[in-house]
Amino acid sequence: MDTKEPKLLDEIKSKFNVEGRIQRERRIWISIDKERLIELCTWLKNQRFEHLSAISVTDWVKEGIFEVTYHLWSYKDKILLTLKTKIDRKKPVIESVTTVWEESAQIHERELHELFGVKFKGNSDLSPLFLEDWHALPPFRKDFDWREYVREEHYDKEDGREVVYYD
Amino acid sequence: MVKRSEKAKTMRKLIKAIWIFNWFNSCGFTELIPLVGSRWDMERFGMIVVGTPRQADVLFIAGYQTLKSIKRAKKIYDQMAEPKVIIALGSCTMTGGMYWDSYNTIKRLDDYLPVTIYIPGCPPRPEAVFEAVEKIFGHVKELK
Repeated sequence: MDTKEPKLLDEIKSKFNVEGRIQRERRIWISIDKERLIELCTWLKNQRFEHLSAISVTDWVKEGIFEVTYHLWSYKDKILLTLKTKIDRKKPVIESVTTVWEESAQIHERELHELFGVKFKGNSDLSPLFLEDWHALPPFRKDFDWREYVREEHYDKEDGREVVYYD
Repeated sequence: MVKRSEKAKTMRKLIKAIWIFNWFNSCGFTELIPLVGSRWDMERFGMIVVGTPRQADVLFIAGYQTLKSIKRAKKIYDQMAEPKVIIALGSCTMTGGMYWDSYNTIKRLDDYLPVTIYIPGCPPRPEAVFEAVEKIFGHVKELK
């Protein structure tokens, strides 16, 4: 393995309170507290992690947390760095990274707000992309029973044609 | 000789061709491409795709509609001039198709828009589309 991955991870560990590991060449995983997220993101951006590939949310319903994951790519070092942070499921609020990656973060956060109900503080526009007039739980949450929702919203058990949807 | 009404006379004059506006979601459009190509060639039957609903006689709706796109479909339908016809293609428009249990699709198009003809199939064969359009021509010819 090249030496750039351990060097980078050591540098992050010395500056921030993170857990991290090198999975393989050009692949690093890091977990950080949400309080220091923006600080770390800003630092990473200055370390040439210019490309925010994606943001994703994992719903750990039993543990009561949302795990927010940022996938970062460095064109200079050719390293894919995955940055994870945890937020409370009951109060899903997190600082927006639009201050760091601007527009590329904006659309990802907007989508996650629509699908998980996570609020990104500082994002300029969190209006829904597809779910206009949506009143139920955000649909990608694990406790949202989409099949039950569809049966209630769209089908009628008394209708002979639709009774098959209740098997 | 059959005595025809004024409406029937006018309609028979107008029905030389059917102008189509397409409103397709998801795979609906790709399944209709063969109709445009040389093998089935829909223009020989006078079916022409137009660029705006204001010129169209027929609205083709294919693929499943979402809660968002159905609003746009309604707007398109409102812009069309009378007489107007909706032809819905594929099982998606009838039952939701593969996506019958999706939270974001509409399950039956005629709950939202006055569908004239459904063409079954996933996807419908090109011949089935021709048959549906032929029924429109036939309807006008039978008008009295």
